[in-house]
Amino acid sequence: MQPSHQSVIKVEQLSKTYGKGENAVMAIKACSFEIFKGETVALLGPSGSGKTTLITMIGCITEPTQGKLYLDGELIFDQHWRISDTRKLRRQKIGFIFQSHNLIPFLNVEENITLVPLMNKTNPKEATLKAKELLDYLGVGNKLTAMPSQLSGGQSQRVAIARSLANNPKIILADEPTAALDGERALSVMQLLKKLATEQDVAILVVTHDERMIPLFDRIIRVNDGFVTEDIQQMS
Amino acid sequence: MISLAQRDIAHSLGKFLTTSAGIGMLLGVVLIMIGVYRGLVDDANILLKDTQADLWIVQQDTLGPFAESSRLHEDMKYQMKAFEGVKDVSAVTFQNLQLYRNNQPIRVFAMGYDVGSFYTPHLLIEGRPILANHFEMIVDKKTGFKLHDEILIGRDIFNVVGITKDAVSSSGDLMVYFSLPDAQKLQFLSSNEQIRNDRARGIKTTDTTTVNAIIVTVNKGTNTQTIAQEIERWKHVKVLTQEEQSSILTKNLIERSSKQIGMFTVILLLVASVIISLIIYTMTMGKLKEIAILKLIGASNGVIIKMIVQQSILLGILSFIAGNLFSHSLVDLFPKRTILMSSDALSLLVIVIVVSILGSLFGVRSALKIDPASAIGG
Repeated sequence: MQPSHQSVIKVEQLSKTYGKGENAVMAIKACSFEIFKGETVALLGPSGSGKTTLITMIGCITEPTQGKLYLDGELIFDQHWRISDTRKLRRQKIGFIFQSHNLIPFLNVEENITLVPLMNKTNPKEATLKAKELLDYLGVGNKLTAMPSQLSGGQSQRVAIARSLANNPKIILADEPTAALDGERALSVMQLLKKLATEQDVAILVVTHDERMIPLFDRIIRVNDGFVTEDIQQMS
Repeated sequence: MISLAQRDIAHSLGKFLTTSAGIGMLLGVVLIMIGVYRGLVDDANILLKDTQADLWIVQQDTLGPFAESSRLHEDMKYQMKAFEGVKDVSAVTFQNLQLYRNNQPIRVFAMGYDVGSFYTPHLLIEGRPILANHFEMIVDKKTGFKLHDEILIGRDIFNVVGITKDAVSSSGDLMVYFSLPDAQKLQFLSSNEQIRNDRARGIKTTDTTTVNAIIVTVNKGTNTQTIAQEIERWKHVKVLTQEEQSSILTKNLIERSSKQIGMFTVILLLVASVIISLIIYTMTMGKLKEIAILKLIGASNGVIIKMIVQQSILLGILSFIAGNLFSHSLVDLFPKRTILMSSDALSLLVIVIVVSILGSLFGVRSALKIDPASAIGG
């Protein structure tokens, strides 16, 4: 399935400056791009180029300094936040996957996955059912009651992916999701994300350093010194 | 909704219980200190309550035998009995004694009273009251003496005929009781050498008809103040009501001691509060990464505050329970009476909960400040 042309993430002249006056550092400089439903996009760039700042702004964690941000067609930022509760937006529309799985260590796998849906007032039975489905889909269906400490690295990352999908997000933001995995497992996780994007119609933006994964993405956005230096559509 | 506080506690249950037990010991010490204070105040009034007297006749211009030296002629009790409204009287003596049991010294407070008068030790739990005017005594259980033990005191051997429980003087010394003549002999009869010496000086010192106070009960419906004023006017003595005597005991005699213990208890409570707050703060600091993740995935501040505050309150309650168990298991080991009261425990529980909530506020403040972006990256 090819990505649709329904925009899910749209950034227009988005900038971020840390500090003030002489100490001001411009981390992101007037970046503009658009990501569509079902698209997997790699955000590449050297350390300190502004990738994480960009992803945290898109995730409504860091407030931009200038520009506009649209998520799922809604204007989220324009000089200031246009919505009152950014966390609510995150738990309803965005899924996060981290470099280290970042599961809550005192919750079991099921609770880690159902936490966000339950915060969204989803029926507990429905949330559990969805968690089971996701775990089965991701090949870790037998780990429902396991604690994160009982999982291997690959299993943990699959559970983290399941958690990011539990709230039926429109967007998944992943920060180096394969960095802690060996080559085979990393490839397997990336293939899984790609499959999710196409099957679940989710836009996936992945920060990565792993050049081996690049062929799997629909698009590559390169960032350098706060600028978007390249935005290439790849042929599948 | 999943209770994050419960899950976190269950995940590190051993650590949580150990921490609770540690704080509990501290709270147990606070409870024991309060108990020591209560014991001190209660001890001060035990003897007074036991007498069930309405009035205390003591030497003029003195505060009575518990505060100052007080001496009266024993026969004054007959004059007291003649006052209208007076129901019964008993002459009494008080003195400190040192007894020996298995060669170990035991400091006691001895009371002599008129056998057959209205007064008899009400804290008697074993044996019988003193019936004979000589060579019988009642001792408190904690002295270690048993019924029918024979104890050499002064020149005579006394037979233990009764045992009391929790009978102590205002200073916490264990009580022993004698008949008035025996007690007078113990207190006022000089040694033979002294008597011979005094005779040579022309002083008669064999008279033991002195008492320290006369206790009086009045008829129902009689105004004790009126009788007290009448007696004072005619007999040149000081008359104290039971309330005045109680006030002398609790305010004049043990005020400084009780303030000292009270002060120590307050300091201990403050230290406990600071420690509880610090532990709660440290517990929260240890979860900052998880809190950042929670914020990142969209958990509201309410969810995070609830988790921290619930844990703090639970820690406080568990510590309080541990403290109660700790204090109750140790209370009987203390040589002086320590009274653990439910009302004090309840007050402490309220304080602990308030401290737990306040302590958690520092943690909440830090938790709310943490940037969710800190969860991103390795």
